[in-house]
Amino acid sequence: MVMACRVINKRRHMGLQQLSSFAGTGRTFLGPLKSSKFIIDAECHESVLISSTVRLLESLDLTSAVGQLLNEAVQAQNNTYKTGTSTLLFLVGAWSSAAEECLHLGVPISLIVSAMSEGLNSCIEEVVSLQVPIHNVFDYIDSTKTFSGLETFSGSLCPFLQIPSDTGLQKEHDLKDVASPSLTICNLSGIPVKSPKLFRPQAEVEADKNTLQNSQTLKNSLLTGNHHRKSILIHSRHFNRTDNNQWINKPDGFLEQHGAASPSTYRCNDLVELEMGLSHGDHNSMKLVDEAVRLQYQNASMQQGNCTMPFRFDISRLFTCCLPGVPETFSCVCPGFITVVSISNSALIKELQNQPLRIILIEGDLTENFRHLGFNKATNINTVLESMKVQQDSSEELWTNYVLQVLIKFNVNLVLVQGNVSEHLIEKCIPNKQLVLGPVNSSVMQAFAEASGAVQVTYITQVNENCVGSGVYVTFWRSIPSDVMGRINIITVVIKIEGINLVTVVLTSPVTAQMQSKEDRFWACAYRLYYALKEQKVFLGGGAVEFLCLSHLQILAEQSLSKRNHVCSGWLHNTSSWLASSLALYRSTVLKCLANGWHKYLSTLVYNTANCSSEFEASTFIQQHLQNATDSGSPSSYILNEYSKLNSGIFNSGISNKLEQIPSIYDVVIPKIEAWRRALDLVLLVLQTDSEIITGLGHTRLNSQETEGFLFL
Amino acid sequence: MSRLEAKKSSLCKSEPLTSERVRATLCILKGVLTSSYGPSGRLKQVHNGLGGCVLTTSHSSALLSSLPITHPILKILTTSMQNHVSCFSDCGLFTAILCCNLIENLQRTGLTPTTVIKLNQHLLRLCTSYLKSESCGCRILVDFSRPQTLLCLVRSIVTSKPAGMLTREETDHISALVLRAFLLTIPDNAKDRLLLGKSIIVPLKGQRVLDSSVFPGILIEMSEVQLMKILPIKKSDAFKVALFCASLSGDLSDTGEGTVVVSSGVSLENAALEQLLNLGRQLVGDHVDLVMCQKVIHPSLKQFLSMHRVIAVDRVGVALMEPLSKVTGTQPIGSLGSISPSSYGSVKDLCPAKFGFKHFLHLIPNEATICSLLLCSRNDTAWNELKLTCQTALHVLQLTIKEPSVLLGGGCTETHLAAYIRHKTCNEPESILKDDGCTQTELQLITEAFCSALESVAGSLEHDGGEVLTDMKYGHFWSAQAESPSVVNWPDLLSRCGCGLYNSQEELHWSFLKTTRHPFAPQTCLPHEATGSANNLTLDCFTAKLSGLQVAVETANLILDLSCIIEDKN
Repeated sequence: MVMACRVINKRRHMGLQQLSSFAGTGRTFLGPLKSSKFIIDAECHESVLISSTVRLLESLDLTSAVGQLLNEAVQAQNNTYKTGTSTLLFLVGAWSSAAEECLHLGVPISLIVSAMSEGLNSCIEEVVSLQVPIHNVFDYIDSTKTFSGLETFSGSLCPFLQIPSDTGLQKEHDLKDVASPSLTICNLSGIPVKSPKLFRPQAEVEADKNTLQNSQTLKNSLLTGNHHRKSILIHSRHFNRTDNNQWINKPDGFLEQHGAASPSTYRCNDLVELEMGLSHGDHNSMKLVDEAVRLQYQNASMQQGNCTMPFRFDISRLFTCCLPGVPETFSCVCPGFITVVSISNSALIKELQNQPLRIILIEGDLTENFRHLGFNKATNINTVLESMKVQQDSSEELWTNYVLQVLIKFNVNLVLVQGNVSEHLIEKCIPNKQLVLGPVNSSVMQAFAEASGAVQVTYITQVNENCVGSGVYVTFWRSIPSDVMGRINIITVVIKIEGINLVTVVLTSPVTAQMQSKEDRFWACAYRLYYALKEQKVFLGGGAVEFLCLSHLQILAEQSLSKRNHVCSGWLHNTSSWLASSLALYRSTVLKCLANGWHKYLSTLVYNTANCSSEFEASTFIQQHLQNATDSGSPSSYILNEYSKLNSGIFNSGISNKLEQIPSIYDVVIPKIEAWRRALDLVLLVLQTDSEIITGLGHTRLNSQETEGFLFL
Repeated sequence: MSRLEAKKSSLCKSEPLTSERVRATLCILKGVLTSSYGPSGRLKQVHNGLGGCVLTTSHSSALLSSLPITHPILKILTTSMQNHVSCFSDCGLFTAILCCNLIENLQRTGLTPTTVIKLNQHLLRLCTSYLKSESCGCRILVDFSRPQTLLCLVRSIVTSKPAGMLTREETDHISALVLRAFLLTIPDNAKDRLLLGKSIIVPLKGQRVLDSSVFPGILIEMSEVQLMKILPIKKSDAFKVALFCASLSGDLSDTGEGTVVVSSGVSLENAALEQLLNLGRQLVGDHVDLVMCQKVIHPSLKQFLSMHRVIAVDRVGVALMEPLSKVTGTQPIGSLGSISPSSYGSVKDLCPAKFGFKHFLHLIPNEATICSLLLCSRNDTAWNELKLTCQTALHVLQLTIKEPSVLLGGGCTETHLAAYIRHKTCNEPESILKDDGCTQTELQLITEAFCSALESVAGSLEHDGGEVLTDMKYGHFWSAQAESPSVVNWPDLLSRCGCGLYNSQEELHWSFLKTTRHPFAPQTCLPHEATGSANNLTLDCFTAKLSGLQVAVETANLILDLSCIIEDKN
């Protein structure tokens, strides 16, 4: 037992370097256009197709201490929010380079820590101005207007502006016009659809403004091609109206424009628009999410009659059923529980169809040997026979018979089991017209418990009349043509009950390797929508918030250069140290490095979306806008301005010929900010670490080359 | 066939401290500890190199316990430091660094161990009596009517560990919470003996630090499904409680060694379950409202209890048992036989609570000194460090209520004490030398070693290459940016001393800590108004620091006194 101790901070900070190299692997996952990666195991030649950060880290060897911390941070973000991991990973890389840069410039570590966290906090306060409140998206929900992918817009020439009934006095502007971000949206077939963005000449907006009210000119049709325009922009610089205020309820902090003559307010009160904005290019997945939400909404309205309680999107009652080998187009959303069952059950299901069934729910396994958690089996018990009478049945057989008796006694035909089920039991149940399914997801169990009145029990012995639910129907699920299903040799059933709050999303993919990433993408969309609805606010997406952070930091850096004796030493805890008084000296350097991280983020975003041929071009593009933003004096109003212009410039000159309509892009608020914070926390933690202590026998694995730089105790 | 092997003879190493290897390892250990010291200390990643979890920390208790040290000398050192930390929680790094410094400095004097030890003990006595005396210039009496001092003490502890990753606002929030949690553990009407309660730290990772809060009573974490099963809780004035420490899972845990033989047709499991159900019947008959079990309750028993509207909570865990028994006034029940009615207790109210994504059952006691500190942090690493820090702070507050003094922190106590000792031995050497037979030169040498060991502990607070100084009036600790021009206007360059009590504008003279200076008498007797007005002092726990000083000197004496190590090689 020797302690090995490695100084990792001698000349170059190894920890930070490791972080940036790990993070470099995920850069192509940033933005809506994610390039998939094949990860190949060199030893067994197995390969896996991945297209998300979480899956990437799962496949990487992250046994080094820093790698583990990175994995821990990404997992924590993923477990809590299911989104924002690519941002987290990228920023970890960008900011560890930034911290390293500061070290090279001779900034004391404590000052890097305090100035960086101060800088990020300031950014987070600043971007509140780009939050868009979501209001009553379910008030206008109607079944005729559902989410349809981008494709459908291409041809639809002129659905006109629809003015919401309660805003009759208000002329409406398409939020798209003002909030289309600078991203290319990729439809699922993988062909990037050029999409609009940041910037279009103001004249056109003005033109819109005039033409919108009158009749549709060709251009107007182009611009208003999407029919889900219920959001309204009142932007004083361009739509300088006086009657805005009477209906805009402006919550504090939302989109108040700094330095402008009068405040402007965005808001989003249309579900489809919100979904479109949060789809980040993955329209197919979002379409499924949309259908699922609508099903839940309808279900909730039916349950509640006149819908007094506000509807809440309950993501725990969403369930996916993956069918690899089935063509993409068969993906769909259905109420109830859809699952794959073995072919041997098909006769049984045929018999059980069209009649209400009684159901029981088993929490544990349904096997003879299963015991609840915490039960320790005594190993030293021998059973002896007192007479020579040979026992005919094994204990398994006895148990199976007992289970059958219980099922018959309570007239139960359907058993859902959370754990595993004894194969023998399943076979025995078939002749008795009893269907036993497992393992079943716990939220599915919960949904059936609520809807059928069944009470979940651990053992079959616990079953009494109170535990049995009723009114459940089982049928074949035949939305997919039988020839297709026959080809992949499975049968699917749907289990339903009146009023069940459960929606199954059937995901299909002809390529088995894509199944996982398809499921991941679906959940990413679902969680984005979930958090947006939960928080009742979204950010303007497509890089707007990051751009504001960048320009805000630049301004802060300039300011701290000019005002050396700026008070703000408040960040350091230890105010008596000399560090507190010299913070002003270094603050601008550190903030500039932090800002560089954002710059890298934005350039990569622009580059990944294939709007620029090189990273350099992307970087120049960002630099140009940064300059404009700084010159304008108020970056946040610059961004809002740019969003309100049509882009005729660099990267979408071809767009207007394509009759494609690109809606605004949104982003979730808290998960995004948390990802930033987690990224910076990790970088600062590693930055402050100066040595690695390897305990136990771990050091024996170090080969002679590696032991260089280690100190042994 | 058995084989006999001759015993290896033991290995005896004399003068262990002179060995190069011991010095080198001691130096590495000192480096690890020194670099972790203080609010800008560097962190250490502790892991097993095989993919085990990574601990990022600068906490002495975490560091010392994870260093698997084998060399006997280092082992003496770390064991005695760990001992200190387990008794006092605070000042672990201070103690360990001081001890290393002392060994290093005293060894360099080349004097015989006897002389060194004798004089060391004299100096230690000087220190302790000064720190305890009325005239002590670095001790503040705690005025419990003003929470400011206690708050400063807590804040100093919270800020001393950078891996907690707290912003200033978060630091204030956590400090206030810790203090509040501590105050909740003080009984309202203490008569002759004050019996403090307990603050339980409840983890809630992944949330913002500012969401942390304190609740009177106990929070029991449970899954949503489990919580749903016991809801709604019927309203009642008081809930009768039974608390089990025995497992109610229905297994046969105590079959002992050997084999149990049962005849077929007899099911031990069913017998055990029947016994549990009998127990359940008694509980229902005794009108118990809430059954809690440290371990698992058999699902059938749970079902039985819930059918009779008795709330059953299992897997409470051993950590909560003592507080639960205290809060509810129950005797934990250890057997499945009949229950004496005196074992039951009660709680005032029960309610479900949700924080972040976790669900809890909140037990609100009638009157008790137990509270729950719900501690949130964004990542595991920061949470672990924050938890250690909060535990330390709570412990330190307990120590402070026993001995209502605090010492000035930020290195000021060390430099002040060093100045005092230097002055004392220079001006009144007779009082020390009179019965010892040591020469004045020896005294001077040891004093120098002792004082510079103290001063370099203070100097270890500086990690970014700054200059460390002391003033010639109060003997406090100051830091400045390095490479300052030689002719410098010190008052402008310095701002406040380490503890924050004095500022640089009051005509002081400074000297670098490393240079030799004339002994001077540091100003004693802190003026009352000085401490009363200062709101942002860095403070240290008196009891912990005093003990740390003693442990460090005595451990150093012990190590210096070692003349040989005998190692059994078998």
